[in-house]
Amino acid sequence: MYFLTALVCTIIAGVLYYFFRDRKGLHLDILTITFGAATLMWLVDCIACAIGGEPFLSFDDPQDGWVALWTLLGGVGLWLLVSFILNNGKKETPKE
Amino acid sequence: MACFLVSTAAAIGVTVAQKIVAKNEKKKAEAGETEIKEYKFGCETKWSDRLKYLATTLWTGSFLLAGEHVIHGEVAPFPPFLTAAANPTDAAEMLHEMGTVGVAMFAMLVVAWGVGAFLWDLIKYRKHKKQQKPQLEKEV
Repeated sequence: MYFLTALVCTIIAGVLYYFFRDRKGLHLDILTITFGAATLMWLVDCIACAIGGEPFLSFDDPQDGWVALWTLLGGVGLWLLVSFILNNGKKETPKE
Repeated sequence: MACFLVSTAAAIGVTVAQKIVAKNEKKKAEAGETEIKEYKFGCETKWSDRLKYLATTLWTGSFLLAGEHVIHGEVAPFPPFLTAAANPTDAAEMLHEMGTVGVAMFAMLVVAWGVGAFLWDLIKYRKHKKQQKPQLEKEV
């Protein structure tokens, strides 16, 4: 289930990045990369499960909801933190 | 079980490599060796920037997967930190998973980064060619 959550988040972040690609300060590329990387890693996990005889996608884990919530909040939180650091860590050039 | 550790270890390595490459590029820039004499495919993007994107991909992906492992109780805040490491049978299974699924995850991320970097360079190259066309027509 968290694979699907990450996939949906990647699509939304990708669309946002496309429309706001000129606004570099938003760092939406980092948000897209975050969700995209997690999606790919869970995709490999799903493929490994399918090879091992388990279902490709399973929805019977009681902690699925918590992991999906973590995916969303963790990704957005990380993006906010990294964006804040990048936007405030730039060395200001002295005015002439 | 601990498949995300492969990508985490790779992220550390890539970050170190990126810092070294960035330092070398800075040295070259100070020496004035960065001038582009002839336009080549991919010459607009620095290798340190490319590696920065790979490191970001590996770090962020590992971070989200680490959270998933914490929720599933596979990672604990006390030694040996990985619950599977406490039992030799589970430890062997964990190492096998790291060697198969973990390495496959890392390979998948590297391939995705490679494709992304290639497409980025292709877009830049095509943009450059488009800008060059009217100039060449004028010269003719």
